[in-house]
Amino acid sequence: MSPLDADGELCRKAAGGDRQAMSALASAYRGPLYRFARRLVQDDALAEDVLQETFLTALRKVGGWRGEGTCRGWLFSIARTEALMAKRRRAGEPDVSAEEQEEELPALGLAAGWGAAMDPEALAAKVEEQALLERALAALGPTEREIIALRDLEGLSGEDTAQALGLSVAAMKSRLHRARLALVAAVKRGGHDGR
Amino acid sequence: MAGNKEVGGLWCFDVLERLSEYVDGELSASERRKVEAHLEGCDECTKFGGEFGAVVKALKAKLASREDVPADVARRLEEALAKR
Repeated sequence: MSPLDADGELCRKAAGGDRQAMSALASAYRGPLYRFARRLVQDDALAEDVLQETFLTALRKVGGWRGEGTCRGWLFSIARTEALMAKRRRAGEPDVSAEEQEEELPALGLAAGWGAAMDPEALAAKVEEQALLERALAALGPTEREIIALRDLEGLSGEDTAQALGLSVAAMKSRLHRARLALVAAVKRGGHDGR
Repeated sequence: MAGNKEVGGLWCFDVLERLSEYVDGELSASERRKVEAHLEGCDECTKFGGEFGAVVKALKAKLASREDVPADVARRLEEALAKR
């Protein structure tokens, strides 16, 4: 049985009221969901609240889980919603639905150096610096950060990422590409916010 | 882009649009061949594609983590679930 099939089985058992199955899901997913929440809310204590609320919500809703998508995608979609709500509660925080204007692809490309790229090897050496990548990722908007966290950092499949974000796979791919271009631009600015 | 040009049946913009799928290995074989034909004849796209690929690769290598939650976070989560 693959790990994803095993997770689906745990979700089905949890849906049937099996508390041990929910505990097993919590053990398997607390790390990935906490890391994801930290990327979104950028605060350890708030990320812990998001983690707890995610599993409490999962516990409440799992009875209605019918196996649409994957158990993993379902848990990440709950965590995302909880993170958005936590950010909304934090005073003055812009939320994902009200943030970044979607720029045209050529404009994003130009900001990332499309047509003016100089030296890939020099950039490859530069991004060896983890702190630069951290700054660049933190400088992105929340929509950009969440998709990179899901797909590139947590390694979710395209389908699971789309499920977690409530998007079609095609829309997810387009958003991921834009987010990566924004990251390249942020790296070239030295990780500083260019907004 | 000042030098948007057609090489190998694709324009520079077409390549820009496909870079993520290219680096993720998600293009069909025929699409991949077209992108590679363009890259062979377009120095600007080769350089930009190299930069883009380097950032995506470093992102996955440097920032992806398999670290579990701190022990006290795990304990409080278990306690919260046990109360329900």
